Amino acid sequence: MTEAKPVVVCTWSESQGEFPVGAEEALTLGRKVANALGTRLHWLVLGTLPETGMETAGRFGADGVDQIEDAALEAFSADVYLNALAGYCRQESPMLVVFSQSVETRLVAPRLAGRLEAGVLMNGVDIVAGDDGGLQATASAYGGDTQVVYELSGAACYVFALAANALQAEPAEGGPTQPGCRSISSDLGGVEDRIRVVEEARTEGPRLEDADVIVSGGRGLGGPENYGLIERLAEALGGLAGASRPLVDEGWVDSSQQVGLTGKITRPALYLAAGISGASQHMAGCSAAKTIVAINKDPDAAIFRYARFGIVGDCLEILPELIQAAKQ
Amino acid sequence: MRIVVCVKEVLDPDAVNNYALAGRLEIGEDGKSLTQTTIPRLMNGFDEQALEAALRLRDAGAECRIGVVSVGSDPATILKHAAALGADEIAAVMMEEPSPDYHVVATLLSSYLSTSGGADIILCGRQASDDDQGVVPALICEALGIPLVTNARAVELMQAAGETALRITRVTPDGDEVVEVSCPAVVTVSNELGEPRYPTAAKKIAARRMKPEIVTAESLSLSAEKLRPRVVALRQFVPTVSGNCEFVDGETPAELASALIARLRQESVIS
Ligand SMILES: Cc1cc2nc3c(=O)[nH]c(=O)nc-3n(C[C@H](O)[C@H](O)[C@H](O)COP(=O)(O)OP(=O)(O)OC[C@H]3O[C@@H](n4cnc5c(N)ncnc54)[C@H](O)[C@@H]3O)c2cc1C
Repeated sequence: MTEAKPVVVCTWSESQGEFPVGAEEALTLGRKVANALGTRLHWLVLGTLPETGMETAGRFGADGVDQIEDAALEAFSADVYLNALAGYCRQESPMLVVFSQSVETRLVAPRLAGRLEAGVLMNGVDIVAGDDGGLQATASAYGGDTQVVYELSGAACYVFALAANALQAEPAEGGPTQPGCRSISSDLGGVEDRIRVVEEARTEGPRLEDADVIVSGGRGLGGPENYGLIERLAEALGGLAGASRPLVDEGWVDSSQQVGLTGKITRPALYLAAGISGASQHMAGCSAAKTIVAINKDPDAAIFRYARFGIVGDCLEILPELIQAAKQ
Repeated sequence: MRIVVCVKEVLDPDAVNNYALAGRLEIGEDGKSLTQTTIPRLMNGFDEQALEAALRLRDAGAECRIGVVSVGSDPATILKHAAALGADEIAAVMMEEPSPDYHVVATLLSSYLSTSGGADIILCGRQASDDDQGVVPALICEALGIPLVTNARAVELMQAAGETALRITRVTPDGDEVVEVSCPAVVTVSNELGEPRYPTAAKKIAARRMKPEIVTAESLSLSAEKLRPRVVALRQFVPTVSGNCEFVDGETPAELASALIARLRQESVIS
């Protein structure tokens, strides 16, 4: 009897030594699907395994950890990462490869699917095994206004990217496993990225992705001259200032401050949104926040459906008072 | 030099949002499509910006033909819009059912690209605003074996010693990055590129006479096997957001503000 093909969760750290964002959620989903199909779950780590990696792997029920360590994987390169991944997949023939969605995996996952003749689905929310052993996957559409259920059939392998706020990480039922760690060799020496970086992105200070507190402003601010209120409140709360897309499109703020589907995907403890309507594409970047606070003059604004606390009122009057109150 | 821009027709995402924000977005009896028939159909915004990037290359002096191609059941309207904006050639790849299968769409597009004389630069929007997948450009790059640069805010041509290359400013989470890539290449464009131009009335009238080249799976000699979908939409639904918002009380802005800060401290959200 041939062994059932494994489910593989693939991650890498955005910067050396850091725990890969979204790995626990992806492992949670991977474990669920592997259980439903009676197959193994492997965690493929490109680059260095974070220090707590083996413990995490066991807690989330991985049957094995596969590691590809190579000097060429130290910094992200789409062509090199893709080569490593495609080589691994050709060897291990997984039936499903799960990524946690990020800017980098958005680049790599669909290319991997193209290279392997696999099916692909991004913005994934869930996968369930149907009665016939087939897979059905749910992904969000229209920024999250709707969700679509897809049947995955006709390809030997599927590539799936799990959206940031799709599910809660949950340790495997039945206690931790004792996965082994395999070192997978791959020959990446000759692979060169066809894209030459001539000017590196310059990270200026802390990033929204890592912020604990974010104060964001939207079109309700009325004009660029009022964005300073957002910055001052963010400062008073020890956080960073973000924005909705119209403020970026109008040139009030830099695009690195855009929160949302096509901007930053954030997971702060506190997200305070002032003058933001709560369009799905914006919420895709902040609904993973632990506590959302909304200030909007329209009591029916959609943002209040996501918020834990709300103030109905004019943000231009309330923000200065909040700055005062936060400083006390 | 030939530039080809791939465009998709979508339901106006702002109109869809407005229905969603009002809690009135509904799915029809087929379980798949939105019932709101009044929502206008238009060219995906990022694709329009991809076309704008092509037009800016031409404005900057690139000697090029700009082709625009769309896969769909009736892409004529957006292709005429593309023509009015300045496309030199337009092609409609006909697909009976608007399939969500990106693999099928990418196979049709790559096959069209390689049989219609190839392209030095293939421009696409970073993602479509309906399904947000953003996978077609990546699948085209793999099918054609050429590089992919995503999320461009500016695209510049560099020609030297008979070699054509692009210098692209990319939007990344860490700020802008500048990269260079040799052609042919696939480039996706982000909203940071800025407002696309509007067609002039005269160009709109001229574009009405332009007929898209009609391309089909048969004319591309693609077998049914090659076009077998791998991801098939079964149903679409509107997710519910469970709100439990606590509205803070107060008469004046100052009262509201201090009440909010007090609640946040009480719940240990802030210190
Ligand atoms: C494909 C696609 C991708 C997108 N990606 C993103 C993204 O990544 N990020 C993003 O943010 N958007 C994105 N958008 C845009 C998104 O759909 C919305 O248009 C946008 O988020 C709206 O921004 P807003 O809430 O600031 O503005 P509006 O929707 O105009 O809302 C303004 C709000 O301010 C309130 N208001 C007005 N005046 C005041 C006042 N004085 N005091 C208090 N409240 C006031 C109003 O009641 C209203 O609720 C995307 C759209 C598409 C189609």
